[in-house]
Amino acid sequence: MEPLKIVITGPVGAGKSTLIRTLSETEVVDTDAIATEAIGKPTTTVALDHGTLRLDGHLLHLFGTPGQERFDFMWEILAEGALGILLMVRADRPETLPVARNILDFIKSRAPVPYVVGVTHLDQPKVWQPEEVALFLGTPLEHTQGLDPRRPEEAVRPLVRLLELIGTNA
Amino acid sequence: MSKQEQLQQLLGELKAALPELKEIIVASSDGLPVAQLGESEIATRLAAMAATAHGLGKRIATTTHLGNLVEIVIRGDQAYFIAYAIGDKGILGLTTPAGSNLGLVRLEAQEYARKLAGIL
Repeated sequence: MEPLKIVITGPVGAGKSTLIRTLSETEVVDTDAIATEAIGKPTTTVALDHGTLRLDGHLLHLFGTPGQERFDFMWEILAEGALGILLMVRADRPETLPVARNILDFIKSRAPVPYVVGVTHLDQPKVWQPEEVALFLGTPLEHTQGLDPRRPEEAVRPLVRLLELIGTNA
Repeated sequence: MSKQEQLQQLLGELKAALPELKEIIVASSDGLPVAQLGESEIATRLAAMAATAHGLGKRIATTTHLGNLVEIVIRGDQAYFIAYAIGDKGILGLTTPAGSNLGLVRLEAQEYARKLAGIL
């Protein structure tokens, strides 16, 4: 079984680490450090998250990136050899969408591979719907999905879609 | 004296004790620059990288049963980058040329990491 490297990226607080913890079948490697900025949570990823998942006969290696732009060197390191990208964004923080687009452009310039978009925190008041996020990012709507990264059945959906895209790409 | 002045004073003392040090930075645990002595243009980047190296080092230490992480050493053929935790809130990072007395650098840097922990 050929392992597939998938990069999970997006702005801070989108749920990247949560998604990997929800889905990984092996012990997750995380690198949480105490957050000193007001980012709405006590810790943040400073290097990477790593987990694995078997899906449709493939072994996926999920590599989560830090969300802050000061860690852009990790985006570059983790993009190496990636076969697909899951970009995660918060529906209730549309102001982070330009950052999301920067991250996507940055990683795609190093690893021009298929990507899908996962929209989280849709249960909050005043959110952008996945259609609006897709429009902003210029992503086909069918590659953009709302999800709760704490629920396995929802967290896995964008990865299923991504596998289809990687398959048709290959 | 403000917290910033106290940090800056300690970095100055460390530099006086080890004049060969080139970069000295204090980063927050999540990679923001807190104080620095040296080239300002790389300090911000080095702060983020120090947090990454330290965060990953901690994970490697636990995964491979090394016990608690004591220090990060990155050795180039011309210089070293060395980092120590400042309590759980920050990291002290420094660069020193290849010919430095590493034993002395380690002793002094760890001593100053302890002093800095009292201020951060």
